[in-house]
Amino acid sequence: MSSIENRPAGSVAEPQGFLPKPCTAAWAALIGLALFTYRLGAYGSGRLLMGAALCLTLLKGQLVVDYFMGLRSVRPFWRIAMAAYLIVVGGVIAVAYLSA
Amino acid sequence: MKTASSAQPLPGDFAIWVFIFAELLVFGVLFSAYALSRMSNAGLFDASQATLNRSYGLVNTLTLVTSSYFVARATRAIRHGRSAACGRWLGGALALGALFLAVKLLEFHDDFSRGITLSTNLFYMFYLSLTFFHFMHVVLGMVILGFVAYRTYAGAYDANRYTGVETGASYWHMVDLVWIILFALIYVLH
Repeated sequence: MSSIENRPAGSVAEPQGFLPKPCTAAWAALIGLALFTYRLGAYGSGRLLMGAALCLTLLKGQLVVDYFMGLRSVRPFWRIAMAAYLIVVGGVIAVAYLSA
Repeated sequence: MKTASSAQPLPGDFAIWVFIFAELLVFGVLFSAYALSRMSNAGLFDASQATLNRSYGLVNTLTLVTSSYFVARATRAIRHGRSAACGRWLGGALALGALFLAVKLLEFHDDFSRGITLSTNLFYMFYLSLTFFHFMHVVLGMVILGFVAYRTYAGAYDANRYTGVETGASYWHMVDLVWIILFALIYVLH
């Protein structure tokens, strides 16, 4: 059981300052990628376009895992487990769409 | 490269991560079921998907991603002992969560007005089921965040005690993560 109650103040190894740059940059990237993914869907169909949209989706998922959930700075196992989840789900979707 | 000794503890209570992985597994099965069902009904799925108003999906994506960012900022604020700022970020996240629900209800209203139901066809069955299932997770996430915000304003968290904030935040980020995949699957990929 992980417990960080009574963890010493300031023990979190994050950049100091008002703006957490990686987190804000991740948010900006997520907004940009969401708009781009939306445009890809509106642009047309085709395996290349849909493959790109799916890859962008998996990238967005990993950004959430790394910078919002904060798994980038914990034991690699958890980050790998999340990445594996995204790859497996993305892989099933890709195979299903390619076989349709 | 990070080493095991420099790694931080898993954010929040470990139990929430068991719950998060269980939820992700359920959503993963549902996403796979949608994709596999489309294999033999691609024409039907694409034609039905084209009737959706994709702008609703985009607005809700931008809303939920920003809400998740606000929660990340709230977590950072409390780690540095800024409980008032944490409360404000959580309040903003809750407001965006409410906006997400309002947009989704508007979309459901439009769908039902057009006579779309669970039994209309296979695509709409998945579309309504998946989005409503996620809708209920947003509601649960807002209840959790609301409780965390209340406890923050009550002074329960500070720079030394913030497991509760991280626990609620982790769940909310999972809700965001699931929506990102759902948005692509339901509104974009065809």
